[in-house]
Amino acid sequence: MRKWIYKISAVFLAGAIAAAAGACGPNSSTLEKNLADEKDSNMKTVLLFAPMEKSDPDNENISRTAFDITVGMAEEKLGVTVEYRTYTAENYQEKTYDEVTLDRVRNDMDDFYLLNPDTIQILGEEGELVDLSVLDSAKNLREVVKTANTVDGKLVSIPQEVVVYGLFVNKDMFDKYNLELPDTPEDMLECCRVFKENGIETPIGANRWWLENFVFAQAYADLYNGENTEQEIAALNSGEAKYSDYMRPGFEYLKELMEKGYIDAEKAYTYEAIEGEGPDFLAQKTPIVMAYWGAANADTAYGKPDFNMQVIGFPSKRGQMPVVSITGFSVSVNAEHMEDTMNVLDVMLSDEALQVYTETNKVISPSKNVQVDCIEALKPLNDRVNDNVYVLGSNANMKVEQWGNTCNIVSKLLNGASVEECMAEFDRLQEESLKEE
Amino acid sequence: MKKEKRDGTGKKMTLIVPIVLIFCILATFVFYVAGKISKEMSAAAVDNLTESLDLIRGTIEAILGKEAEFQKLIAAEIETMEDPEEFIQSYNRNETMVKLSLVPAGETEGVSNTGEVLHVEDLDFSAGKTIEDLPVSESYLNHMGAWAYTMKCPVFQKNGEAATLYIEYIYESFDKMLPNRFYNGNASLYLMDGDNERLVLKPKGMGEREAGHVNLEDFYRANRILEEEVKKNVTESVKAGKNVMFYHDIQKKKSLIYMWAVNDGSIYLIGYVPIEAIQQEGSAVNQNIFIVVSVMLVAFLICCALYFLTEKQQKKIRREQEQEREIHNRQLAEALQAAQVASKSKTMFLSNMSHDIRTPMNAILGFTTLLAKDVDHPEKVREYTKKIAASGKHLLSLINDVLDVSKIESGKVVLTMAEFTLNNMVSSVDAIIRPAAKAKNQQFEVTVTGVKNECLVGDETRMNQILINLLSNAVKYTQEGGKIWFRIIGMEQRSSQYEHIRIEVEDNGYGMTPEYLETIFDAFTRAENSTTNKVQGTGLGMAITKNIVELMGGTIQVVSEVEKGTLFTVELELRIPEEKVDEQFWKKYEISRILVVDDEEDICKNVQILMDDTGVVVDASLSGEEGISLVEQACEERNPYHVILLDWKMPKMDGIETAKRIRSIVSEHIPILFLTAYDWEDLKEEAVQAGIDGFLAKPFFVSALKEKILEVHAELDDEKIIENSGNSSLEGYHFLVAEDNEINAEILAQLLELEGASCEIAEDGQATLEQFKNAAPGKFDAILMDVQMPNMNGYETTKAIRALNRQDAEIVPIIAMTANAFAEDVRDALDAGMNAHIAKPVDMDLLKKTVSQYIERNKK
Repeated sequence: MRKWIYKISAVFLAGAIAAAAGACGPNSSTLEKNLADEKDSNMKTVLLFAPMEKSDPDNENISRTAFDITVGMAEEKLGVTVEYRTYTAENYQEKTYDEVTLDRVRNDMDDFYLLNPDTIQILGEEGELVDLSVLDSAKNLREVVKTANTVDGKLVSIPQEVVVYGLFVNKDMFDKYNLELPDTPEDMLECCRVFKENGIETPIGANRWWLENFVFAQAYADLYNGENTEQEIAALNSGEAKYSDYMRPGFEYLKELMEKGYIDAEKAYTYEAIEGEGPDFLAQKTPIVMAYWGAANADTAYGKPDFNMQVIGFPSKRGQMPVVSITGFSVSVNAEHMEDTMNVLDVMLSDEALQVYTETNKVISPSKNVQVDCIEALKPLNDRVNDNVYVLGSNANMKVEQWGNTCNIVSKLLNGASVEECMAEFDRLQEESLKEE
Repeated sequence: MKKEKRDGTGKKMTLIVPIVLIFCILATFVFYVAGKISKEMSAAAVDNLTESLDLIRGTIEAILGKEAEFQKLIAAEIETMEDPEEFIQSYNRNETMVKLSLVPAGETEGVSNTGEVLHVEDLDFSAGKTIEDLPVSESYLNHMGAWAYTMKCPVFQKNGEAATLYIEYIYESFDKMLPNRFYNGNASLYLMDGDNERLVLKPKGMGEREAGHVNLEDFYRANRILEEEVKKNVTESVKAGKNVMFYHDIQKKKSLIYMWAVNDGSIYLIGYVPIEAIQQEGSAVNQNIFIVVSVMLVAFLICCALYFLTEKQQKKIRREQEQEREIHNRQLAEALQAAQVASKSKTMFLSNMSHDIRTPMNAILGFTTLLAKDVDHPEKVREYTKKIAASGKHLLSLINDVLDVSKIESGKVVLTMAEFTLNNMVSSVDAIIRPAAKAKNQQFEVTVTGVKNECLVGDETRMNQILINLLSNAVKYTQEGGKIWFRIIGMEQRSSQYEHIRIEVEDNGYGMTPEYLETIFDAFTRAENSTTNKVQGTGLGMAITKNIVELMGGTIQVVSEVEKGTLFTVELELRIPEEKVDEQFWKKYEISRILVVDDEEDICKNVQILMDDTGVVVDASLSGEEGISLVEQACEERNPYHVILLDWKMPKMDGIETAKRIRSIVSEHIPILFLTAYDWEDLKEEAVQAGIDGFLAKPFFVSALKEKILEVHAELDDEKIIENSGNSSLEGYHFLVAEDNEINAEILAQLLELEGASCEIAEDGQATLEQFKNAAPGKFDAILMDVQMPNMNGYETTKAIRALNRQDAEIVPIIAMTANAFAEDVRDALDAGMNAHIAKPVDMDLLKKTVSQYIERNKK
């Protein structure tokens, strides 16, 4: 026992002496290094301009978290700092994020951007974006992603996820009124009628951005799922076929939904995405909303509903139809920190980073090497995508930009324009594109 | 004990209470100091933050001032130009001034360096804010997608105000000037337009993206500043262009929110910093204090723990020592008690012994006196000498027992292990006990059952001693006409190498009281004082028996009831010799089938079990008739029985009749033997006439059968011849007797003379050696050697004689004749070169037998 105590005491004393000696000794680093120089020389930065939706401050947004993780990977690997700049419109009258990004890219304000499909196409055509096919990570991309983002032979944008839009439905409410989930537009009208008759004021919760998915589902169900996709697009680009002919059924359908009170056009015209219609959906006042895939995952907008939620495709004559839209990262041709920016993107879009991103967000990865399972609610939508049944919400091969223009024209419809006026707008856009040729 | 314990707890409490008190005081002091440091550091931190914000505000105001001054300079320059519009259009934007426009006086549009037309109504100067007297517009999102503001400056010419110079500046130009990582990145910094409350420059980098960044309302929402009172106060202060700073929880952390008016409130520097971030030094100091105090506390507690541990151990050691002492004391007391009991026992024993020795001695001396007196009456002399001899024998057995006990108790007994047969053992015991039982008219029944191996390894002498002790006791303590059972039962073997036997000796005699049973096996104790006991004995027999049984690894138990009888049970495990049965024997005499005819099934089975290993087939029949038919059948099959064993008394047809009938069937060469418990002599005549060849006593033993077969075949071995021939007397022999005791020497000389032999006496070993040396070769037929003698003892003398260089030295029989009567003494005698050992007092029959055996051998 005594020996044991002596041993412990000896070890303790030796440790104490060593610690004391360490604490009293001169701090060599302060004498030998000029810390001020070191700090200055380490400031490598890359500027990112990205949208940032408002979110509940107490709620971590996992979509962002996943994105941050990949940025963190790049920062750690390359020793750079990625600085964020952002813009959010105060209201619908202000410039939109897309408008601001157009201005900023054209004025070389930042190094790289997270762009929506319409701006990708516009800026790509203007030659403002760098060809990203030189990146190592570009080699792993799925073909559909490359196709959707190639403008004039240049891969101008690469996404971290393939964004799929669908209808988020409250299955409990459908069950309550013995309703099947709608496959066709007619099914949908019937469901809405029943809901309306049962006192549900607005069966479809909508915002000013995403109603266009109804239009795409009906317009392009045949085009993308038939066998003549390329020829039909070529016909549209050459003017032989008219966009308005494709778009008309969808617009007429939206008009009908509005007229029957299934969509509140006034509110939808001013609502921001999710922020506007989301609370009613979660409060089970609205049985149907539309959103992108990621919103169904835990800790995001519709991650923890108190009811049985299912995500299905938009109604079309070919059944439930997912709408695929691809946002992506693009680099300004005049980026101040070009080399660092390209390196950062290469890391953020590598299989390793995309694996983390995809696992965290449970989304569809643009890399053909990355696959993860999805949550139960997303299975119906996922099954359709896996069966290659979907329409594209944006396609850089089409001369008339789809995602932004359709959104704008749907806005006009919400604001009271007639279907004919809307079709005339498509015809005008098609003519403009033909003139440019 | 309880008092001691209470004292111990009290001591502990007197130690613990001051310790706790000291720690409470220390803790209070530390808390006070920590709190004080915290407060001071907090105040210093707030001062520090205020200074930092003032510094940033000053910098921004200086930049704004410089911008205004520069704009005035450009305006002055333009005043001198002939074509100011060309100058404007040729201007290339820089990082700060991104757009230059000139609007002629009185017009609402003008040219810009970007090529766009400037519409004056797009700019809002209504708030009336100025920088260096130049009006500054409300913030707006410019053509570059960046937040911007415009200052306007009049351009004068000779005619007065000729135009207005508008220059657009972007807030992002302040980005590089603002601290990169304000409070290590924990604090946020926004620029807010004081009029429309839009956030026009936001923090960069990760970690700030949860904060609202649209406008002041969004900032409130994101940071959960929901109190209307607070918002109202802030709005009023912002309107008045005052600085605001207040505490509020942000992301569940207590934070300081600041809104610092720049340029009289046209721009606000807003943001928040968690308190812990600005009080890092204070926290670090407090943390260090707590660490030091904690370490001291832990060290102190360890010291206390060690102290208590040591104390506890000391106590434990003391307790153990006390316990040890108690045990010692108890052991001492027990030892004392045992010694007292032993002493008492020995005193009693000595008293008993004294009595027991004196009694026969009294008889001897008394009869000796009578002998001297009645020397002329041969009848009386014969009677007296017989009684003297009986008393002597009793005395001798008494002495043997005492010696045996003392030897066993001192652990000096060594078992002499050798092969023996149960047959020999039982028959020798039977020979001793049966006459004694017969004398008391008792029935003596011997049975052996279930023993698989008859030939075993053990100390036969000691086995005999056990059995004789038990059986002679049974005879002694059973009334006349009583019954004694002697049973040997083969038990289930625990190991194939050992025969497990149980020996039971039962009688229906006097029995014993439970009190006596408790001490029956104790030496030196007797239940009844021998003076009142009508049965004579040393009282040591049972102690000896028990000791021997235990020495053999066995157990002995006794059950007894007064007036009902006693049962002794001895269990032993005896080794089976490796070469068990001589199968050759049976082959030699061509015996492969035996028939047993007995009405008791157990006996038949016993024969079968015992013969199991011999390879001989044993058939059994339970009646004479069945036996005869078996014999007939065997003859018909030409596979006759080679030996037939018959019981005498059987129902219906008895042994004699059966034997007659069988003899008429089988040839005369086939031995028919009686296997019976009855006396052969009574039956002999009738049996021989019936054709029976011999008699086997029950219980059946293989060795007995073999002997009988040998007898029948008239082949007796050498040993038997010698034994038979050795019965002759000592007539004509001449002995050399080494004996230092004159009386003993004289008695021996007389006895030898009676037997017709002569002797020469030597008084010690040396004399014996000399006498033998000086004698002519062959003069002495044998030497009778005492062992304990002066000058040279018997062993040394024997060795010396054997070493002599003369022919008869090697072969002359030397027989030890000594009172050293133990097995070891026999071995020592043989080792020294003697031929045999005879214990004193001399048994003349044994002496004759031994002497003649060796002399005969020498002669041969």
